[in-house]
Amino acid sequence: MSVAAKVVDAAGDVLRRARLIPRVWIGAVCAGVLIVLLPLFFPLDGKSHADWLQFLGRFHPLLVHLPIGLIVLLPLLEFAGTRRQSLREAAGFVLQIALATCVAAIVFGLLLAYGSGEIGTTVTRHMRGGIVLAIELLLCLSVRRSWLAGQQSRSYFILLGVVLITLAWTAHHGGSLTHGSDYLTRYMPPTLKRFLAPSAVSSHPNSFFARHINTVLDTKCVACHGTNKEQGGLRLDSYESLMAGGKDGIVITPRNPDGSLLLKKVTLPPTDPHFMPAEGRAPLTPDEIARIRAWVLQGASPDASSVPGIFIAEDHEEAPPPVGDYSALMGEIRQMQQSQGAKLVPVSANPSDGLILRTTDVAASFDDAQLANFQRFAPFIVEAELGRTAVTDAGVETLSQFKSLRALHLEGTAISGRTLARLSSLSQLTYLNLSATKVTSDTVAPLKSIPNLRHVYLFNTPAEPASAAEIDLRSTQ
Amino acid sequence: MKQHPLCSDCEEKVTPMDLPIPSGLKKEWSVCESRRQFLGRAGKVLGWASLATLFGEASFRHVTFASGNNSQAGFGGNNLGLPHFAPKAKRAIYLFMSGAPPQVDLFDYKPNLAAQFDKDMPASVRGNQQLTGMTAGQARFPVAPAHWPFSQHGQTGTWISDLLPYTARMVDDLTLIKSTNTDAINHEPAIMLMNTGNMNSGKPCLGAWLAYGLGSMNDNLPTFVVLQTKTNPKENNQPVSSRLWSSGFLSSEFAGVGLRSVGDPVLYLQDPAGVDRDVRRKMLDAVEEINRQTLAEVGDPETNSRIAQYEMAFRMQSSVPELTDLSKEPESTWELYGVEAKEPGTFAYNCLLARRMAERGVRFTQIYKRGWDVHDNVVGNLPVLCHETDLGCYALVTDLKRRGLLDDTLVIWAGEFGRTVYSQGGLSQENYGRDHHPRCFTTWMTGAGVRPGVTFGETDDYSYNVVKDPVHVRDFNATILHCLGIDHNKFTYEFQGLHQKLTSPVAAFVVQGILA
Repeated sequence: MSVAAKVVDAAGDVLRRARLIPRVWIGAVCAGVLIVLLPLFFPLDGKSHADWLQFLGRFHPLLVHLPIGLIVLLPLLEFAGTRRQSLREAAGFVLQIALATCVAAIVFGLLLAYGSGEIGTTVTRHMRGGIVLAIELLLCLSVRRSWLAGQQSRSYFILLGVVLITLAWTAHHGGSLTHGSDYLTRYMPPTLKRFLAPSAVSSHPNSFFARHINTVLDTKCVACHGTNKEQGGLRLDSYESLMAGGKDGIVITPRNPDGSLLLKKVTLPPTDPHFMPAEGRAPLTPDEIARIRAWVLQGASPDASSVPGIFIAEDHEEAPPPVGDYSALMGEIRQMQQSQGAKLVPVSANPSDGLILRTTDVAASFDDAQLANFQRFAPFIVEAELGRTAVTDAGVETLSQFKSLRALHLEGTAISGRTLARLSSLSQLTYLNLSATKVTSDTVAPLKSIPNLRHVYLFNTPAEPASAAEIDLRSTQ
Repeated sequence: MKQHPLCSDCEEKVTPMDLPIPSGLKKEWSVCESRRQFLGRAGKVLGWASLATLFGEASFRHVTFASGNNSQAGFGGNNLGLPHFAPKAKRAIYLFMSGAPPQVDLFDYKPNLAAQFDKDMPASVRGNQQLTGMTAGQARFPVAPAHWPFSQHGQTGTWISDLLPYTARMVDDLTLIKSTNTDAINHEPAIMLMNTGNMNSGKPCLGAWLAYGLGSMNDNLPTFVVLQTKTNPKENNQPVSSRLWSSGFLSSEFAGVGLRSVGDPVLYLQDPAGVDRDVRRKMLDAVEEINRQTLAEVGDPETNSRIAQYEMAFRMQSSVPELTDLSKEPESTWELYGVEAKEPGTFAYNCLLARRMAERGVRFTQIYKRGWDVHDNVVGNLPVLCHETDLGCYALVTDLKRRGLLDDTLVIWAGEFGRTVYSQGGLSQENYGRDHHPRCFTTWMTGAGVRPGVTFGETDDYSYNVVKDPVHVRDFNATILHCLGIDHNKFTYEFQGLHQKLTSPVAAFVVQGILA
């Protein structure tokens, strides 16, 4: 038998067998193969391509929600269809539309990724999830026929379950791409968070990099330069990848902040097309830029614990806890503004910054009794301007109840300092002005027990140190 | 006799129908007199009336906005929402060196220039810059190095001219900005730009913006005070006008209040003989009532500010004498400021007043010192100018520091531009002159909000062009606002169809590099 005859025979055999398989299966397999091959037409090579590809691709998020809705609707219709035949018929239609839109969404998604040159594990997973989903829908379409004919009772519903799981998995990765991978977990209660796998821990958890640089990159950059996406081939989720740079070369030049691409990009005018973070994401704060700059200037070390000359507040002091919201007392506070007398003034438009007790207008007549009237507002008062008032030692005792106080002005008052020890209850106090009072070095000594007190002014008092008016109590401890 | 149709003194009732108007129109009117027409129109009128109320409220809101953030209006009563964030500085003191101090002689140390003496400045340094009429015609631009030596000071080792021995002492507390630059090359536009963010007059100055936005901390004293230093007739004094402390389109109560350097600090503040405080009070109450009637009739917000100003003047009758009474100052004050500070109108006296106003809750104090316009005889004039101001600046900063006021006060030292490295007029070993120079000048800040011991920005070898970290006047002002808790981009006032702001419509950036 010639080879040709053998081939013809084999082909005939295949065809005979194929006839046994319903035609819908052949169609399904062909369509499935096409979908699987789609990525070959649009290889994700990390390079951006023609703009029109991306333009079309950006309709992907719009399109993608159609199949999601339809797929979720499908099992509902099937279950409801046990009661009403018409819904079951509708389910078939919905399944077809879901498949069609799913394929369309895949095509647009590929255009988006191919056009913008996005790569990364999440992108790949999202893409594969979509393709698997489409194939599962194809299977559904085929299995459903035999299910309707009463041949397979269970497999269709199992398949539907698998479809839903695939859908959730794919959609989650899509969400991570747009909102960042920590979108769900960022505000998760800590008790729940413990169940999550711990994130990658830096080899030097106490280094300046880990505490002050990595945290900035994590919140501001990693959404686009991390495992999810690697825009510009750059990843900023570890020290090694940060130093390795991206397609435009290295982004951090140790000891040369001005020559570091990363710093250049974040300090451009926000209107500049090259400004980072791109696409309207929150820019870096001045503070964050300053610490990156300082760290680079110092040599961009992965393990140094501090940067000389750079004082970072949280390294040395706990940020003051926000005071509660005083909005409920606003009526009274506002009334106070309108009348003569001491006033409560907000530190800023943000209520958690607290209130200032301001007595400048009426300093001479502001006494201990009036101060006591403000005790109700004490939790919200972060600064008391009592300079040149008639407040006395008894008033200082009242002040010991003002637990939120960070700054206290008592300059030019008649206090003797006898009761200053009572102020040790003010754990937030950082500034205390006792200039031009009668306090002595003995009466101010108990102030050393106030943990955060750093600026004490004793100018023109018996307690004034010979050399400098301001004594650093912490260093004398 | 036939009466004129418009005569009101008539027996018969005259209707518009009697007027000599085209009959077609009259016909139209008579059709309109149906009940249906009346009801229809009444409905529309109601609609218009409600619309007018809505718009009216909007314009009324504008009037309250104009009254700013002063405590009488009550915060929350206005919607300014200021400060935008917790400020580092509550108040600011601005030492304005009118006339433009020469940065080359004082701060911007260029040791290489000594070798360049009387050599022509390379044309490439100047580029295509248009010079002032005073030197544009010069045949050559000979380099005039600083006549006085520089030395290093403080732990930071900052180079400061020996002309400023006191400033040199506090150099570790200062934030020097060597790259300040401006757009204007002549005094008036430049000083307007520095103060109001615009070269043309009519815009509110920094102090007025602050008074408007942050309000008063003491109802008995003005929110914004301007102190002028007595002029030295031997110096080249450029005029300083009230345009510089004007409130522009803001309500006039936010304009700076000038305290005089000679005689009474505020004119006519004292009651004339025979008028005691009660009489004055009664008189003011009566005037206020009349003013309130006017306000109700006309609704001009300016009436409101007039009422506020009368009240302020009344309170100032007792607060200003207390402010300017230096008899209770301890001896240490005179040791620090020098006895010159006892003489009203000197720079040291003004610095002392500025400290006293800071203690008493004045939001913004601006001290003008004129005479820095050294077109010629730099060697003769500059030591005098430095001597007049150096100790005062040092005393003010030191005094604020030891009294614990520097923790919430920002001090600013600046002129309107810099001066050229090349000599205007003849150059000799003994003397030289310097022309206006907008491309770079040195300013400093210290106190709340800025990082001490920092020198920011760099200029080229000729102190002519900024080569690193330029700070435009707008950026400078944006940074000052930032220290006081204000986002300059959000701090706007609607006027002439623009959201006006201090930093003008051109983009400005807070200088992050100098923030604490």
